[in-house]
Amino acid sequence: MFSKKMVMIIGVIVLIAVNIILLSVFNRRYISYYRPGRIATSLIAPFQKASTSSIRFVRDIWRHYFFLVNAAKENDNYQKALNKAFENNIQLKELRLSNSRLRDLLNFEKTITDRVLSAEVIGKDPSPWFKTVLIDKGKNDGIETGMAVVVPKGIAGQVTDVSANYSKVLLIIDHNSAVDALAQNDRARGIIKGGMAGQCLFKYVLRKHDIEIGDIVISSGLDGVFPKGLAVGYVSAVFKPKSGIFQEVTVTPYVDFEKLEEVLIVLNPKKKQFEPEQ
Amino acid sequence: MTYCLHIFICLCLIVIQTTVMPYIPLFERFYDLLTPFIIYLSIFRSARESMVIVFIFGFFMDIISGGPFGLYLTAYVWLFISARWAITFLHVGDSLLLPFVVAAGVLMENFLFIGISAMFEQSPRVFEAMVSTIFVQVLWALFTGPFFLMFFNYSHRRWDQWFMKIFVKKN
Repeated sequence: MFSKKMVMIIGVIVLIAVNIILLSVFNRRYISYYRPGRIATSLIAPFQKASTSSIRFVRDIWRHYFFLVNAAKENDNYQKALNKAFENNIQLKELRLSNSRLRDLLNFEKTITDRVLSAEVIGKDPSPWFKTVLIDKGKNDGIETGMAVVVPKGIAGQVTDVSANYSKVLLIIDHNSAVDALAQNDRARGIIKGGMAGQCLFKYVLRKHDIEIGDIVISSGLDGVFPKGLAVGYVSAVFKPKSGIFQEVTVTPYVDFEKLEEVLIVLNPKKKQFEPEQ
Repeated sequence: MTYCLHIFICLCLIVIQTTVMPYIPLFERFYDLLTPFIIYLSIFRSARESMVIVFIFGFFMDIISGGPFGLYLTAYVWLFISARWAITFLHVGDSLLLPFVVAAGVLMENFLFIGISAMFEQSPRVFEAMVSTIFVQVLWALFTGPFFLMFFNYSHRRWDQWFMKIFVKKN
Protein backbone atom coordinates (compact mmCIF):
# COMPACT_ATOMS: atom_id res chain seq x y z
CA MET A 1 0.00 0.00 0.00
CA PHE A 2 2.79 2.42 0.96
CA SER A 3 6.06 2.73 -0.88
CA LYS A 4 9.34 2.16 1.00
CA LYS A 5 10.15 5.86 0.77
CA MET A 6 6.79 6.78 2.25
CA VAL A 7 7.30 4.40 5.16
CA MET A 8 10.74 5.94 5.77
CA ILE A 9 9.35 9.47 5.84
CA ILE A 10 6.54 8.49 8.20
CA GLY A 11 9.09 6.67 10.40
CA VAL A 12 11.32 9.75 10.63
CA ILE A 13 8.36 12.02 11.45
CA VAL A 14 7.18 9.62 14.17
CA LEU A 15 10.73 9.43 15.55
CA ILE A 16 11.00 13.23 15.68
CA ALA A 17 7.63 13.48 17.42
CA VAL A 18 8.58 10.82 19.98
CA ASN A 19 11.91 12.56 20.52
CA ILE A 20 10.27 15.93 21.22
CA ILE A 21 7.73 14.36 23.57
CA LEU A 22 10.46 12.52 25.49
CA LEU A 23 12.56 15.68 25.73
CA SER A 24 9.59 17.58 27.15
CA VAL A 25 8.90 14.84 29.67
CA PHE A 26 12.50 14.50 30.81
CA ASN A 27 13.30 18.20 30.77
CA ARG A 28 13.21 18.40 34.54
CA ARG A 29 16.61 18.71 36.05
CA TYR A 30 15.93 16.58 39.09
CA ILE A 31 15.29 13.53 36.90
CA SER A 32 18.93 13.47 35.89
CA TYR A 33 20.19 12.49 39.32
CA TYR A 34 18.05 9.46 39.94
CA ARG A 35 19.96 6.24 40.38
CA PRO A 36 21.36 5.83 36.81
CA GLY A 37 22.45 9.46 36.88
CA ARG A 38 24.27 8.97 40.15
CA ILE A 39 26.01 5.90 38.78
CA ALA A 40 27.07 7.85 35.70
CA THR A 41 28.46 10.69 37.82
CA SER A 42 30.24 8.26 40.11
CA LEU A 43 31.84 6.66 37.07
CA ILE A 44 33.05 9.85 35.40
CA ALA A 45 33.75 12.17 38.32
CA PRO A 46 36.69 10.19 39.83
CA PHE A 47 38.48 10.35 36.47
CA GLN A 48 37.76 14.06 36.23
CA LYS A 49 39.03 14.56 39.77
CA ALA A 50 42.20 12.58 39.05
CA SER A 51 42.80 14.49 35.84
CA THR A 52 42.17 17.90 37.44
CA SER A 53 44.41 17.05 40.38
CA SER A 54 47.18 15.93 38.04
CA ILE A 55 46.93 19.09 35.96
CA ARG A 56 46.99 21.28 39.05
CA PHE A 57 49.83 19.28 40.55
CA VAL A 58 51.98 19.71 37.45
CA ARG A 59 51.00 23.36 37.14
CA ASP A 60 51.77 24.03 40.79
CA ILE A 61 55.18 22.38 40.47
CA TRP A 62 55.89 24.58 37.49
CA ARG A 63 54.67 27.69 39.21
CA HIS A 64 56.12 27.22 42.65
CA TYR A 65 59.31 25.27 42.17
CA PHE A 66 60.68 25.96 38.74
CA PHE A 67 59.34 29.37 38.01
CA LEU A 68 60.31 32.10 40.46
CA VAL A 69 59.60 30.20 43.66
CA ASN A 70 59.49 33.11 46.04
CA ALA A 71 57.79 35.52 43.69
CA ALA A 72 54.99 33.10 42.97
CA LYS A 73 54.41 32.41 46.65
CA GLU A 74 54.51 36.07 47.54
CA ASN A 75 52.11 36.76 44.73
CA ASP A 76 49.73 34.11 46.04
CA ASN A 77 49.75 35.74 49.47
CA TYR A 78 49.15 39.19 48.04
CA GLN A 79 46.34 37.83 45.90
CA LYS A 80 44.70 36.25 48.93
CA ALA A 81 45.12 39.46 50.95
CA LEU A 82 43.72 41.47 48.07
CA ASN A 83 40.72 39.17 47.76
CA LYS A 84 40.11 39.43 51.48
CA ALA A 85 40.42 43.23 51.43
CA PHE A 86 38.13 43.42 48.42
CA GLU A 87 35.52 41.29 50.14
CA ASN A 88 35.83 43.34 53.34
CA ASN A 89 35.53 46.55 51.40
CA ILE A 90 32.30 45.49 49.71
CA GLN A 91 30.87 44.21 52.97
CA LEU A 92 31.84 47.36 54.86
CA LYS A 93 30.34 49.61 52.24
CA GLU A 94 27.11 47.64 52.34
CA LEU A 95 27.16 47.67 56.13
CA ARG A 96 27.65 51.44 56.25
CA LEU A 97 24.79 52.08 53.84
CA SER A 98 22.47 49.72 55.66
CA ASN A 99 23.35 51.28 59.01
CA SER A 100 22.66 54.80 57.89
CA ARG A 101 19.25 53.87 56.46
CA LEU A 102 17.99 51.45 58.99
CA ARG A 103 19.85 52.27 62.21
CA ASP A 104 16.77 53.01 64.24
CA LEU A 105 14.55 50.42 62.66
CA LEU A 106 16.45 47.19 62.41
CA ASN A 107 19.35 45.44 64.00
CA PHE A 108 21.73 44.59 61.26
CA GLU A 109 22.50 40.92 61.10
CA LYS A 110 25.56 39.42 59.63
CA THR A 111 24.52 38.50 56.12
CA ILE A 112 26.44 35.33 55.70
CA THR A 113 26.68 32.55 58.23
CA ASP A 114 29.95 30.93 59.18
CA ARG A 115 28.77 27.51 58.10
CA VAL A 116 30.35 27.18 54.72
CA LEU A 117 32.00 24.20 53.12
CA SER A 118 34.87 24.46 50.68
CA ALA A 119 34.90 22.33 47.55
CA GLU A 120 37.12 21.90 44.56
CA VAL A 121 35.98 22.28 40.97
CA ILE A 122 36.75 18.99 39.22
CA GLY A 123 35.11 19.43 35.85
CA LYS A 124 33.45 21.96 33.61
CA ASP A 125 30.47 21.70 31.30
CA PRO A 126 31.31 19.89 28.05
CA SER A 127 29.21 22.33 26.03
CA PRO A 128 30.02 26.00 25.42
CA TRP A 129 26.26 26.71 25.51
CA PHE A 130 25.84 25.88 29.20
CA LYS A 131 27.83 27.05 32.21
CA THR A 132 27.98 24.47 34.96
CA VAL A 133 30.79 22.95 36.98
CA LEU A 134 31.12 19.71 38.91
CA ILE A 135 32.45 19.94 42.48
CA ASP A 136 33.92 17.24 44.68
CA LYS A 137 31.40 17.47 47.53
CA GLY A 138 27.94 15.95 47.64
CA LYS A 139 25.10 14.70 49.78
CA ASN A 140 27.50 12.91 52.16
CA ASP A 141 29.05 16.30 53.00
CA GLY A 142 25.70 17.91 53.73
CA ILE A 143 25.14 19.57 50.38
CA GLU A 144 21.58 19.92 49.14
CA THR A 145 20.02 21.13 45.92
CA GLY A 146 19.48 24.88 45.88
CA MET A 147 22.38 25.84 48.15
CA ALA A 148 24.30 29.00 47.29
CA VAL A 149 27.86 28.71 45.98
CA VAL A 150 30.17 31.66 46.60
CA VAL A 151 33.84 32.63 46.40
CA PRO A 152 35.58 35.48 48.26
CA LYS A 153 34.99 37.83 45.33
CA GLY A 154 31.26 37.19 45.16
CA ILE A 155 28.48 34.88 44.05
CA ALA A 156 29.43 31.94 41.86
CA GLY A 157 26.22 29.95 41.42
CA GLN A 158 23.76 27.51 42.86
CA VAL A 159 23.77 23.74 43.44
CA THR A 160 21.36 22.13 40.98
CA ASP A 161 22.09 18.41 41.27
CA VAL A 162 23.56 16.40 44.09
CA SER A 163 24.92 12.85 44.12
CA ALA A 164 26.62 11.08 47.03
CA ASN A 165 30.04 12.67 46.62
CA TYR A 166 29.68 15.15 43.79
CA SER A 167 27.40 18.06 42.91
CA LYS A 168 26.62 20.09 39.85
CA VAL A 169 26.69 23.89 40.19
CA LEU A 170 24.83 26.19 37.82
CA LEU A 171 26.98 29.31 37.43
CA ILE A 172 25.41 32.77 37.42
CA ILE A 173 26.66 33.29 33.84
CA ASP A 174 24.47 30.41 32.61
CA HIS A 175 21.46 31.34 30.54
CA ASN A 176 19.12 29.54 32.98
CA SER A 177 20.45 31.22 36.13
CA ALA A 178 18.59 33.99 37.97
CA VAL A 179 19.68 35.91 41.07
CA ASP A 180 17.65 38.62 42.79
CA ALA A 181 19.96 41.62 43.04
CA LEU A 182 20.29 45.28 43.96
CA ALA A 183 22.41 48.13 42.65
CA GLN A 184 24.39 49.10 45.73
CA ASN A 185 24.14 52.89 45.39
CA ASP A 186 20.72 53.37 43.86
CA ARG A 187 19.03 50.36 45.52
CA ALA A 188 17.47 49.54 42.14
CA ARG A 189 16.21 45.99 42.16
CA GLY A 190 16.37 43.50 39.32
CA ILE A 191 17.26 39.98 38.31
CA ILE A 192 20.78 38.96 37.32
CA LYS A 193 20.57 36.56 34.38
CA GLY A 194 23.36 34.86 32.48
CA GLY A 195 24.40 36.55 29.25
CA MET A 196 27.00 35.78 26.63
CA ALA A 197 30.81 35.88 26.84
CA GLY A 198 30.90 35.60 30.63
CA GLN A 199 28.69 38.65 31.18
CA CYS A 200 25.41 38.94 33.05
CA LEU A 201 22.29 40.93 32.32
CA PHE A 202 20.66 42.94 35.09
CA LYS A 203 17.06 42.61 33.96
CA TYR A 204 13.82 44.27 34.97
CA VAL A 205 15.50 47.42 36.31
CA LEU A 206 13.05 50.31 36.02
CA ARG A 207 14.00 53.24 33.80
CA LYS A 208 13.55 55.70 36.66
CA HIS A 209 16.67 54.39 38.41
CA ASP A 210 19.91 56.17 37.74
CA ILE A 211 22.32 53.30 37.13
CA GLU A 212 25.85 54.27 36.14
CA ILE A 213 28.77 52.35 34.71
CA GLY A 214 30.93 51.08 37.55
CA ASP A 215 28.05 50.73 40.04
CA ILE A 216 28.34 47.65 42.20
CA VAL A 217 25.57 45.06 42.07
CA ILE A 218 24.93 42.92 45.15
CA SER A 219 22.57 40.10 46.04
CA SER A 220 19.30 41.27 47.58
CA GLY A 221 18.70 38.13 49.61
CA LEU A 222 15.08 38.14 48.49
CA ASP A 223 15.40 34.98 46.41
CA GLY A 224 15.95 32.95 49.57
CA VAL A 225 19.07 31.37 48.09
CA PHE A 226 21.88 33.90 48.30
CA PRO A 227 22.60 35.82 51.50
CA LYS A 228 22.10 39.58 51.23
CA GLY A 229 25.02 41.85 50.42
CA LEU A 230 27.27 39.49 48.47
CA ALA A 231 28.97 41.08 45.48
CA VAL A 232 27.77 39.96 42.07
CA GLY A 233 29.63 42.31 39.74
CA TYR A 234 29.84 45.84 38.46
CA VAL A 235 27.78 47.61 35.81
CA SER A 236 29.69 47.65 32.53
CA ALA A 237 27.02 48.98 30.16
CA VAL A 238 23.68 50.76 30.45
CA PHE A 239 21.16 51.29 27.68
CA LYS A 240 17.92 53.16 28.20
CA PRO A 241 15.59 52.45 25.26
CA LYS A 242 13.28 55.23 24.15
CA SER A 243 10.24 53.13 24.95
CA GLY A 244 9.50 50.50 27.58
CA ILE A 245 9.61 50.55 31.34
CA PHE A 246 12.92 48.78 31.85
CA GLN A 247 16.50 49.67 31.03
CA GLU A 248 19.11 47.23 29.72
CA VAL A 249 22.03 46.85 32.09
CA THR A 250 25.05 44.62 31.54
CA VAL A 251 26.98 43.44 34.57
CA THR A 252 30.51 42.03 34.57
CA PRO A 253 30.83 39.48 37.37
CA TYR A 254 33.66 39.87 39.86
CA VAL A 255 34.28 36.15 39.78
CA ASP A 256 36.60 34.95 37.04
CA PHE A 257 34.73 31.83 35.98
CA GLU A 258 37.51 30.71 33.66
CA LYS A 259 39.81 30.34 36.66
CA LEU A 260 37.30 28.99 39.15
CA GLU A 261 39.05 26.27 41.13
CA GLU A 262 37.73 26.35 44.69
CA VAL A 263 34.29 27.42 45.87
CA LEU A 264 32.42 27.76 49.15
CA ILE A 265 28.96 26.30 49.62
CA VAL A 266 26.74 28.15 52.09
CA LEU A 267 25.31 25.30 54.14
CA ASN A 268 22.79 27.13 56.27
CA PRO A 269 21.64 30.45 54.93
CA LYS A 270 20.17 32.19 57.97
CA LYS A 271 16.43 32.48 57.62
CA LYS A 272 14.58 35.23 59.43
CA GLN A 273 12.33 33.87 62.13
CA PHE A 274 9.11 35.79 62.34
CA GLU A 275 7.41 35.75 65.69
CA PRO A 276 3.73 34.96 65.47
CA GLU A 277 1.59 37.91 66.42
CA GLN A 278 0.13 37.68 69.89
CA MET B 1 36.15 -6.39 24.23
CA THR B 2 35.41 -3.85 21.49
CA TYR B 3 32.99 -2.18 23.90
CA CYS B 4 35.83 -1.80 26.41
CA LEU B 5 37.83 0.14 23.84
CA HIS B 6 34.84 2.32 22.95
CA ILE B 7 34.13 3.05 26.61
CA PHE B 8 37.79 3.80 27.29
CA ILE B 9 38.03 6.21 24.34
CA CYS B 10 34.77 7.96 25.29
CA LEU B 11 35.80 8.33 28.92
CA CYS B 12 39.15 9.79 27.88
CA LEU B 13 37.42 12.23 25.53
CA ILE B 14 34.96 13.36 28.22
CA VAL B 15 37.70 13.81 30.81
CA ILE B 16 39.89 15.78 28.37
CA GLN B 17 36.94 17.91 27.32
CA THR B 18 35.82 18.76 30.87
CA THR B 19 39.11 19.03 32.72
CA VAL B 20 42.00 19.75 30.36
CA MET B 21 40.58 21.85 27.56
CA PRO B 22 38.80 24.49 29.69
CA TYR B 23 42.20 25.53 31.05
CA ILE B 24 43.70 26.09 27.61
CA PRO B 25 42.44 29.41 26.17
CA LEU B 26 43.05 28.24 22.59
CA PHE B 27 40.42 25.50 22.95
CA GLU B 28 37.84 27.71 24.63
CA ARG B 29 35.37 27.21 21.79
CA PHE B 30 36.39 23.77 20.61
CA TYR B 31 33.66 21.43 19.42
CA ASP B 32 32.32 18.44 21.35
CA LEU B 33 35.01 15.76 21.14
CA LEU B 34 32.46 12.96 21.10
CA THR B 35 31.05 14.24 17.80
CA PRO B 36 33.88 12.80 15.64
CA PHE B 37 33.66 9.59 17.63
CA ILE B 38 29.93 9.23 16.93
CA ILE B 39 30.64 9.94 13.26
CA TYR B 40 33.43 7.37 13.31
CA LEU B 41 31.06 4.77 14.79
CA SER B 42 28.39 5.44 12.21
CA ILE B 43 30.77 5.31 9.26
CA PHE B 44 33.15 2.54 10.22
CA ARG B 45 31.34 0.34 12.75
CA SER B 46 28.16 -1.73 12.78
CA ALA B 47 24.88 -0.19 13.93
CA ARG B 48 24.31 -2.80 16.64
CA GLU B 49 27.75 -2.23 18.15
CA SER B 50 27.49 1.56 17.93
CA MET B 51 23.98 2.26 19.19
CA VAL B 52 24.78 1.00 22.71
CA ILE B 53 27.71 3.41 22.96
CA VAL B 54 25.68 6.26 21.46
CA PHE B 55 22.95 5.79 24.08
CA ILE B 56 25.29 5.28 27.06
CA PHE B 57 27.48 8.29 26.34
CA GLY B 58 24.57 10.49 25.29
CA PHE B 59 23.13 9.79 28.71
CA PHE B 60 26.50 10.41 30.43
CA MET B 61 26.92 13.74 28.70
CA ASP B 62 23.41 14.77 29.69
CA ILE B 63 24.26 14.00 33.31
CA ILE B 64 27.39 16.15 33.40
CA SER B 65 26.04 18.97 31.28
CA GLY B 66 23.79 21.81 32.39
CA GLY B 67 21.50 21.62 29.36
CA PRO B 68 18.00 20.18 29.21
CA PHE B 69 18.05 16.47 29.96
CA GLY B 70 18.09 14.40 26.76
CA LEU B 71 19.82 17.08 24.70
CA TYR B 72 23.03 15.14 24.05
CA LEU B 73 21.17 11.86 23.67
CA THR B 74 18.99 13.41 20.98
CA ALA B 75 21.94 15.06 19.25
CA TYR B 76 24.02 11.89 19.18
CA VAL B 77 21.19 9.64 17.99
CA TRP B 78 20.29 11.98 15.13
CA LEU B 79 23.93 12.52 14.28
CA PHE B 80 24.40 8.78 14.11
CA ILE B 81 21.26 8.26 11.97
CA SER B 82 22.22 11.09 9.61
CA ALA B 83 25.76 9.83 9.13
CA ARG B 84 24.45 6.28 8.49
CA TRP B 85 22.07 7.70 5.93
CA ALA B 86 24.83 9.77 4.31
CA ILE B 87 27.04 6.74 3.72
CA THR B 88 24.31 5.12 1.61
CA PHE B 89 24.97 7.57 -1.22
CA LEU B 90 28.29 9.25 -0.30
CA HIS B 91 31.63 7.51 -0.09
CA VAL B 92 32.44 9.26 3.18
CA GLY B 93 35.25 6.86 3.99
CA ASP B 94 37.22 8.88 1.45
CA SER B 95 39.74 10.98 3.36
CA LEU B 96 38.97 14.05 1.21
CA LEU B 97 35.40 14.11 2.41
CA LEU B 98 36.16 13.49 6.08
CA PRO B 99 36.73 17.14 7.11
CA PHE B 100 33.37 18.11 5.65
CA VAL B 101 31.61 15.19 7.28
CA VAL B 102 32.91 16.17 10.73
CA ALA B 103 32.17 19.85 10.11
CA ALA B 104 28.62 18.97 9.02
CA GLY B 105 28.26 16.84 12.15
CA VAL B 106 29.41 19.72 14.40
CA LEU B 107 27.06 22.09 12.59
CA MET B 108 24.16 19.71 12.97
CA GLU B 109 24.85 19.15 16.66
CA ASN B 110 24.96 22.90 17.29
CA PHE B 111 21.70 23.47 15.43
CA LEU B 112 20.06 20.73 17.46
CA PHE B 113 21.41 22.27 20.68
CA ILE B 114 20.13 25.71 19.80
CA GLY B 115 16.78 24.39 18.59
CA ILE B 116 16.14 22.26 21.64
CA SER B 117 17.40 24.96 24.04
CA ALA B 118 15.12 27.49 22.37
CA MET B 119 12.19 25.15 22.98
CA PHE B 120 12.83 24.98 26.72
CA GLU B 121 14.45 28.32 27.58
CA GLN B 122 12.36 31.40 28.25
CA SER B 123 14.75 34.13 27.11
CA PRO B 124 16.44 34.13 23.69
CA ARG B 125 20.21 33.87 23.28
CA VAL B 126 22.39 36.51 21.63
CA PHE B 127 22.47 35.73 17.90
CA GLU B 128 25.94 37.19 17.12
CA ALA B 129 27.62 35.22 19.87
CA MET B 130 25.96 32.01 18.69
CA VAL B 131 27.09 32.53 15.11
CA SER B 132 30.68 33.24 16.11
CA THR B 133 30.83 30.16 18.39
CA ILE B 134 29.43 27.90 15.68
CA PHE B 135 31.78 29.37 13.08
CA VAL B 136 34.84 28.75 15.28
CA GLN B 137 33.70 25.21 16.05
CA VAL B 138 33.14 24.38 12.38
CA LEU B 139 36.59 25.74 11.51
CA TRP B 140 38.16 23.61 14.23
CA ALA B 141 36.21 20.59 12.94
CA LEU B 142 37.38 21.14 9.36
CA PHE B 143 41.03 21.18 10.37
CA THR B 144 41.16 18.67 13.21
CA GLY B 145 38.16 16.37 12.66
CA PRO B 146 39.78 14.02 10.12
CA PHE B 147 42.74 13.44 12.43
CA PHE B 148 40.40 12.28 15.16
CA LEU B 149 38.64 9.90 12.77
CA MET B 150 41.95 8.52 11.53
CA PHE B 151 43.18 8.12 15.09
CA PHE B 152 40.03 6.23 16.13
CA ASN B 153 40.28 4.00 13.09
CA TYR B 154 43.97 3.32 13.67
CA SER B 155 43.54 2.54 17.38
CA HIS B 156 40.67 0.24 16.60
CA ARG B 157 42.67 -1.70 14.06
CA ARG B 158 45.61 -1.98 16.48
CA TRP B 159 43.27 -3.13 19.20
CA ASP B 160 41.73 -5.79 16.95
CA GLN B 161 45.19 -7.03 15.92
CA TRP B 162 46.36 -7.17 19.53
CA PHE B 163 43.21 -8.92 20.62
CA MET B 164 43.47 -11.44 17.79
CA LYS B 165 47.07 -12.21 18.73
CA ILE B 166 46.11 -12.96 22.32
CA PHE B 167 43.12 -14.99 21.20
CA VAL B 168 45.21 -17.08 18.75
CA LYS B 169 47.93 -17.64 21.36
CA LYS B 170 45.43 -18.91 23.91
CA ASN B 171 43.95 -21.36 21.44
